[in-house]
Amino acid sequence: MPAQTPPPASRDGATGLPPGSPPDALIAALDGLRSVIASVDFALTTPSAAPARDLSGHLVHQVDDYLLPRLRRLDAPVLVVVGGSTGAGKSTLVNSLVQAPVTASGVLRPTTRCPVLVCHPDDAAWFRTGDLLPDLTRVNAPTAEPGAVQLVPAPALPAGLALLDAPDIDSVADDNRALAGQLLAAADLWLFVTTAARYADAVPWTLLSTARRRGAVIALVLDRTPAGAQAEVAGHLREMLVANGLESAPLFVVPETGMDGQGLLPETDTAPLRQWLAQLAEDADMRAGVVRQTLDGALAALGPDVDLLAAAAADQHAAATTLTEKVNVARQAAREGVAHAVKDGALLRGEVLARWQDFVGSGDLVRNLEAQVGRARDRVVAALTGRPAPGRQLRGAMESGLSALLRGAAADAVEQARQAWRHDPVGVALLDAAPTAPTADLHARVERLVRDWQRAVLELVRSEGADKRARARGAAYAVNATSLAVMIAVFASTAFVPTGAEVAAAGGVTIAGQKVLEAIFGDQAIRALAEKARLDLDLRTNALLRAELDPFAELLPERGVAAARSAQLRTAGTAVAAARANAGLSADGAAPLPAWEGDE
Amino acid sequence: MLSARHAPPDPRRPDVDALRARIDAIARFLRLSGPHLDEADLSGPRAVLERAGRRLELSRDHTVVALAGATGSGKSSLFNAVARLELSRVGVRRPTTGVAHACVWGPIDGASDLLDWIGVAPRQRFVRESPLDGDDEAALRGLVLLDLPDFDSVAPEHRVEVDRLLNLVDLVVWVVDPQKYADRTLHQAYLSQFASHRDVTVVVLNQADRLSPADTDRVVADLSGLLAANGLGDVPVLATAATDPGRLGPLRAALEGTVSARQAALLRLAADVDVSVQGLRPFVGPAVAEDAVDRASVRRLAEALAAAAGVGAVAEAAQRSYRARALAATGWPPLRWLRHFRRDPLRDLRLGGDGGRGASSLPAPQPAQHAAAALAVREIAERAAESLPTPWPAAVLAGARSRLADLPDALDQAISRTDLDLDRRPLWWRVWRAAQWFGALAVLLGVGWLIADYVVRALALPRLEAPAAGVVPLSVAVAAGGVVLGLLLAMLGRPLVRFGAARARRRALKRLQASVIEVARQQVVAPVREVLQAYAQTREALTAAERRAR
Repeated sequence: MPAQTPPPASRDGATGLPPGSPPDALIAALDGLRSVIASVDFALTTPSAAPARDLSGHLVHQVDDYLLPRLRRLDAPVLVVVGGSTGAGKSTLVNSLVQAPVTASGVLRPTTRCPVLVCHPDDAAWFRTGDLLPDLTRVNAPTAEPGAVQLVPAPALPAGLALLDAPDIDSVADDNRALAGQLLAAADLWLFVTTAARYADAVPWTLLSTARRRGAVIALVLDRTPAGAQAEVAGHLREMLVANGLESAPLFVVPETGMDGQGLLPETDTAPLRQWLAQLAEDADMRAGVVRQTLDGALAALGPDVDLLAAAAADQHAAATTLTEKVNVARQAAREGVAHAVKDGALLRGEVLARWQDFVGSGDLVRNLEAQVGRARDRVVAALTGRPAPGRQLRGAMESGLSALLRGAAADAVEQARQAWRHDPVGVALLDAAPTAPTADLHARVERLVRDWQRAVLELVRSEGADKRARARGAAYAVNATSLAVMIAVFASTAFVPTGAEVAAAGGVTIAGQKVLEAIFGDQAIRALAEKARLDLDLRTNALLRAELDPFAELLPERGVAAARSAQLRTAGTAVAAARANAGLSADGAAPLPAWEGDE
Repeated sequence: MLSARHAPPDPRRPDVDALRARIDAIARFLRLSGPHLDEADLSGPRAVLERAGRRLELSRDHTVVALAGATGSGKSSLFNAVARLELSRVGVRRPTTGVAHACVWGPIDGASDLLDWIGVAPRQRFVRESPLDGDDEAALRGLVLLDLPDFDSVAPEHRVEVDRLLNLVDLVVWVVDPQKYADRTLHQAYLSQFASHRDVTVVVLNQADRLSPADTDRVVADLSGLLAANGLGDVPVLATAATDPGRLGPLRAALEGTVSARQAALLRLAADVDVSVQGLRPFVGPAVAEDAVDRASVRRLAEALAAAAGVGAVAEAAQRSYRARALAATGWPPLRWLRHFRRDPLRDLRLGGDGGRGASSLPAPQPAQHAAAALAVREIAERAAESLPTPWPAAVLAGARSRLADLPDALDQAISRTDLDLDRRPLWWRVWRAAQWFGALAVLLGVGWLIADYVVRALALPRLEAPAAGVVPLSVAVAAGGVVLGLLLAMLGRPLVRFGAARARRRALKRLQASVIEVARQQVVAPVREVLQAYAQTREALTAAERRAR
């Protein structure tokens, strides 16, 4: 039966799909899953990230290379991938099976770098279309170029079955390993080649257990077995297969012998394997069974893999949340530090105190009471002496105090955030990219903030004063002076603990200042004003700190997106599982492989 | 190849004392940098130190050579072939060897401690000393050959054992075979880690009898290429076959050369130290002078600290204090005593006079001032650590902050102890004082005279002949003159007092600032310098630990 043009009836029989339900639903679900997987990146170095990145790349490849093309053409020839360790004799085995030197074998390791696909000339058209393994270019001659597969038609091979000589899985050539993994994931049947020296190596067994988990149909070749050791080694290997749940895999033993002039093994040594493959190629039902079982197993294995990815995505989200939380804690601590410093009236003391005394004691207040006159005189004094008017001096002191406070807070916040990340296993990997100090223009931004806040307080007093009875009484006072006094009240309204004569005097002056203000605005209104001004300062501080800590947040994936990914992955995985259940690809678990007398 | 390298008169042979000096330098590095670097980064060198110390204590007449390789490469066969005895179990079942076996050439006594330390069980130890051999084995006397388990089989515990043993042996012979010579595990996990140990590494292509001579050469060339890619370019690659005694010659010769040179242990430890130095190098960068703290930053720090400590307030108090004292000393005597009821502004702060003992009453520094001081401290640390590699800037900052808790008290004490010149009594005060007394006496005299004159007149006693100064009587003139003198002195004194007070303020400010700078140096700059010094010393230690040019 020529494989590429089967009669329609036979095709239906081969796929075993219920009539009227093409695998379209499954294809659509897989497409959806693929795009979701491809869209998730595991940027944060959580313990699950690196395996998840590998797994996600692998799954995308598997869907593109194998699952989708195979689902679209269930009747395409069976692809037998010959895989195994370097030096196991894969190429020699393939050459011997097709009775022609189609792929280079040799003593240098790794030998095969460009995979070779050997098929019956009738099947060549299908493999050349590039539906299967779409990102490998088809070439006709061996090439050193990566990402190519050499296509060799071999009449000795029966139609309906192709052999792919894969690169090794464990040599120093890293791209060989990746390519081998990709090819094995696209196999309908794994022909796993190992040797007497290698059968206990750790790397192949990891791969075999992965294959078993994915439900792939596996056959093993124990190659290069020294004469006399066959029974013992084969027996031990079979024990290991049973221990690893691979007892159903047929095992072929090929002795270590000399090769003929063409580099082929003696025909008698490979005969059982060749006959077995021929048997498989002849029986269409058996072939379809192998295809469907591997396909179904691969689809079933998607479930746990997608769950792993979803868990890893959830880990990413959790890690991002933790790190964001740490930055927030640092910001909150700095913000509270500023709020506390402003709240306990502290800024008033020291220089601010002295200026306030100037302001009250020198009669400036009295002068400012006559609004226009006072302001004009201030300007004249400033112009004549070159010194800023006392009111402005007071503001200057407050500005520098507040500015130092805010700059210190920003520096502390950045340091705290770094510190917190340093002690986080995920955060420590991001530290190199994270800022080490506040931004260079922090000074300018802080000063701008202080000025803006002062203007806002001024505006506040103006508007609050506008619709209150205080307006009438306060009209005599310069709004300027009032706003200044409100700023003072913000700092001093809560505490003036008399620790020394200076402080007591200052406290007295502060009380006096507050009393004046209260007389103008009323006690309650002053408190409200002070509270509003303090709140405004707090919000501005928060915005400043947020901007300073933004570079930290930018290193993290967006949390909303991260949170959604996990759910999307699970949904897409469930959709594929449901579609798979409907498609009914595999009737039962037993591998429909040809019987082999050596099996028993 | 090896034997040539280890010929006795070789000037490049490592010398024990030099090695010890390098090890000591590493120890010094660890001691100095311990408080500042992450312990995880130092654990490797620490282990090397420990190991090197132990190995140097043990027999240096023995050379421990390990046969390491993948499962099925024929380590045990080679072991048996070199020993010419069936010591280690050989089999086709994989993996075979699970524990290390040792074979000692010569008496076992000297090697027992060594094998105890390496951890080879007594029943896995064999002695290769037989009178039957005659002198055949004499050249290998002192060899301790280990047959290691595999590192690539499904038995992970083998790998753990191999990793442990590879750290302890003097020379490693990597046994590979034509099938497995390009395995990733071998190259990635093992050979590439031994790049620094190329002096104590030999690679053997075993089972060469399975290849034709031409293929053997090709494989050896390919293997050498792979080794070169791992930084093991000049390592000897020998082709052997355990089954063919004739092909063991090169390996035996290499072993004999190594054993007779007795250098492998030292070379191995030297390579370990090299690796440690390599691992520690990222922690040192360019040289930094210990006094790299720049003056401008110190000045800014002192300014911030001065503001936090209330130096301005103290200076102002000193100004007012001067004023009060000057007025008390030069004022008009009848009113002057009133001034003693006023309080001295400095004493209010518990400064001056009896200062220097208790705490002052200066207001506590405020958050804004705190913030400014903290910023200045941060700036000092950042400037000083500008060019240092990663862990050090944080260490310098921590150092700068280490005495921050003591800073307020230190500042307070410094200000309390600063001599503000309260006892200074300028000459002009005394002149003024005398003049004031003179004026006051004149008033007293004039008024007394007037009173006496009045009393005489009232009692109708004979009038005293009073001199007159012009139209007014002299007594009035004297009294008025005294008053005028007092007023004049007070008037003239005021600008002087103001001037003096301003000067006192400036002087106080200067002295206080000097005190504050001293505090800044002690409490902030000194700890920074300590860290910088530790850095300089670790840097120096690492240079000392580097291999001398050979």
